[in-house]
Amino acid sequence: MEPVRSHADQETSPKITTEPPKKQKKMKKRRSWVPGLLLLVPILLFLFGFFVVPMLYILYLSFISTENLSGADAVYSLQNYITLFTDSYYLNSLWITVKISIYSVIVALLLGYPIALTMAKSSARVRAIITLLIASPLLVSIVVRNFGWYLLLLPNGTINSFLLNIGIINKPLNLLFSELGVVIGLSNAYLPFMVLAIVTSLYNIDPSLEKASAILGASPMRSFFSITLPLSLPGIISGSVLVFSLSMSAYVTPALMGGANVPVMPVVVYDQINNLLHWTFGSALSYVLLATTLLSVFIFTRVFEKSKFKEVFR
Amino acid sequence: MNTMVSDVEIKGATKQFGGNIVLDGIDLEVRQGELLTLLGPSGCGKSTTLNLIAGFLEADQGDVFIKGKKVTKVPPYKRDLGMVFQTYSLFPHMTVYENLNFGLKLRKIPKAEQKKKIDRVLALVKLSGLEHRYPRELSGGQRQRVAIARALVVEPELLLLDEPLSNLDAKLRHELRLEIKRLQKEIGVTTIFVTHDQEEALSLSDRVVVMNAGKIEQISTPTSIYKHPNTEFVFQFIGKSNSFEGVVADIGQQKVSVQAGEEMIAVDVANIIGEDKNLAIGDEVKLYIRPENIHISSTKETSTSLELHPAKITQMNYLGTSWEIDVSIIGKSVQVLTNAYDSSWQYGSEVFVGWSPSDLMLIKKQVQR
Repeated sequence: MEPVRSHADQETSPKITTEPPKKQKKMKKRRSWVPGLLLLVPILLFLFGFFVVPMLYILYLSFISTENLSGADAVYSLQNYITLFTDSYYLNSLWITVKISIYSVIVALLLGYPIALTMAKSSARVRAIITLLIASPLLVSIVVRNFGWYLLLLPNGTINSFLLNIGIINKPLNLLFSELGVVIGLSNAYLPFMVLAIVTSLYNIDPSLEKASAILGASPMRSFFSITLPLSLPGIISGSVLVFSLSMSAYVTPALMGGANVPVMPVVVYDQINNLLHWTFGSALSYVLLATTLLSVFIFTRVFEKSKFKEVFR
Repeated sequence: MNTMVSDVEIKGATKQFGGNIVLDGIDLEVRQGELLTLLGPSGCGKSTTLNLIAGFLEADQGDVFIKGKKVTKVPPYKRDLGMVFQTYSLFPHMTVYENLNFGLKLRKIPKAEQKKKIDRVLALVKLSGLEHRYPRELSGGQRQRVAIARALVVEPELLLLDEPLSNLDAKLRHELRLEIKRLQKEIGVTTIFVTHDQEEALSLSDRVVVMNAGKIEQISTPTSIYKHPNTEFVFQFIGKSNSFEGVVADIGQQKVSVQAGEEMIAVDVANIIGEDKNLAIGDEVKLYIRPENIHISSTKETSTSLELHPAKITQMNYLGTSWEIDVSIIGKSVQVLTNAYDSSWQYGSEVFVGWSPSDLMLIKKQVQR
C-alpha cells in the first residue's frame, strides 16, 4: 500500500523514534494482548513501587507546612508554594534553569544538526563510526567528564592560557562557575541525544525528494531549507525536548560547572532536602520544576504541531 | 543526415561505478517533440543514461547536449527540466498546490500567473479541486498525476520519466500510460521515458531505444523493433520467441536453407541479423520465430503456401482472445499463438505447423574463442 519510505515513517510520533518500539507494536497486533500484558507486569510493579509511590509521597509532602512530617500535628496548606512564588531567589533559580536549558538546546542543535546531516549522507560504515564517536562520551562518567572540562575552562586552564598567549584577550574569561560553563557542559553532555534524534528523522526522508527539488530548479541550499529542514522537524523537536528535559533536571554538571554562582533548581532542591532538611519545601520545589518542564515541552511541541508544518508530524 | 532538430544529444558517454562499466560509449539523439523510451533489463544503463541527461550523474567520458547547449557539467537545478520519479517524490509537507508552485516560485513567476498555470495543468491531469490536499490524502494514481503535473507546470525543455508507472497496479498503469501519451502529444514536450516493461515501451513511444549491458542494441520505431530486430538480444527481449538450432545447408539468392534436425527450414536472406552476416555452408546458426507467426492446422492441405512440418500438441492454454498451444517439433517445444483453434485438438494430437520464410530470423552462432 505505502511504497514511499518517508511517509510510513513520518507517521510515527514526534517523540524519539527508534526501530525496536515499532517492531514491538507489530508483534503485539499479531498475538493476543493477554500474554503481552503479562510480560509488562514486572516493570509495571517496579515503576509503581519505585516511581509512582515516591512521587505521590513527595506531592503529599509538598502540602505540609510544618517541620514535623509525621502524624497528627501536620498542617496542610499551600504555604510552601506561596513562599516559593513570592521569594525572588527561587523564581530566579527557576528562570536560570529554564534559560540554561534553552541555551543548551540551541547549542546542541546548532552543533548537532551538521553532524546528523553528515551521518545521513554517508555510507553505512562511516555512519557507524560517527555514531560510535558521538555516543562514546556517554561511556565516561559525568563526574570525570566535568573534571576534564575543569582543566580546559579554569581561569588558568588550557583555553584561557591559549587565548591570553595569542593576545585575543587580556584577562581570563569566566568560563567556569558561570552560566556559560554550565551551558558548555550540558550541551556537550546531551549532544548525542540531539544528534541521534535528528539523524533518525533525516534517514526517513526519501532521497528522491532532494532530486525532485533540484530538477525543479532549487539550489542545494534552497533544497535544504525548503525540503530537508522542514521534514527533519520531528527529529529536531524530539531532540530538543530530550535535551531540554535532561538539562532542566541536571544536577551534577550545574553543581560542578556553575557552583554557587548558578543555583539551578535541582541544586536548590538538593540543598533544601539534604543540607537544610526542608523536606516539604524541597518537595514543592521539585513539583514546580516538574510542572515547568512539562508545560514548556507541551507548549513547544504544540506550537510546531499547529504551525504551517503540521503535515510533517502526521 | 538527420533533418530533424535534436533536443538532446549524448556523444560517446561512458560511466563506471567501482570498476563496473555501466555505460559503454553511448551515442543518442532525441528529436524535438518525440516520446523516446529507454528500454532494457535492470542494470542495462537506461537509468544511468537518464541521470546523465538530468545531471544527477556526470559521464566519465563523453558529452551531453540539451537544445544544442553543452550541459555536461551543468548541475541539475540549472538545466530547466521536468522529471517524474518512480516513488512519486511529492513533498509530503506541501499541498498539491504548493508542490506545483515550488518550481514556479523558483522561476519568479508572478502570483496571478502562478495560479493560472497551476489551474491549467491540474485540469490537464484531471485533478482540479484537489489543490489543497496533502500527498498523504491522495491515492497512488493521483500522486503520480500530481508528480506529472509538477514536472509539466514549469514548462520544461524536456520531460524525463523514470519508471513512473512501476509502483501502480496493472489497471492504473494502463490508464496512466494512455494519459501520459495523450498529454505528451497535447503539449508536444520532448519526453524521455525509462522503463523495463516492453509493453509500456511499445505502446507509448515514437521511438524505442533497446539497451543491454551498457550499450544501445537498437533505436527504432516500436513496430520495427518488434518486426525487424537488429540483434538476437532485441528479438529475445521484446515479445515471445521460439528458437531452433541448425546448420546452413544451402545458400540461394533469396533464401537460405537450414537443416534443423530432420526438417529443412528456409529463411529469407533479408532476415539474417546480427553482426556477422556472412554465411557459409556448414555454419551453425540459430533461427527465431514469434509464436503468432506460426500457423497451425490439422491437415497438410489447408495452407499450401507455407512450409508445413508435423508436430504434436503438448500443452494448450486458453487466453481469452487466443490460444497458446505448445507443440513439439524437431525434438523441441515450440509455442504457438493462434485464433484458428480446432475443437478436436487435445494433448497428443498430431498437427502441422508452418511459417513463412519471411517471418524467421537467422543469426550466426558466435564461434567460441
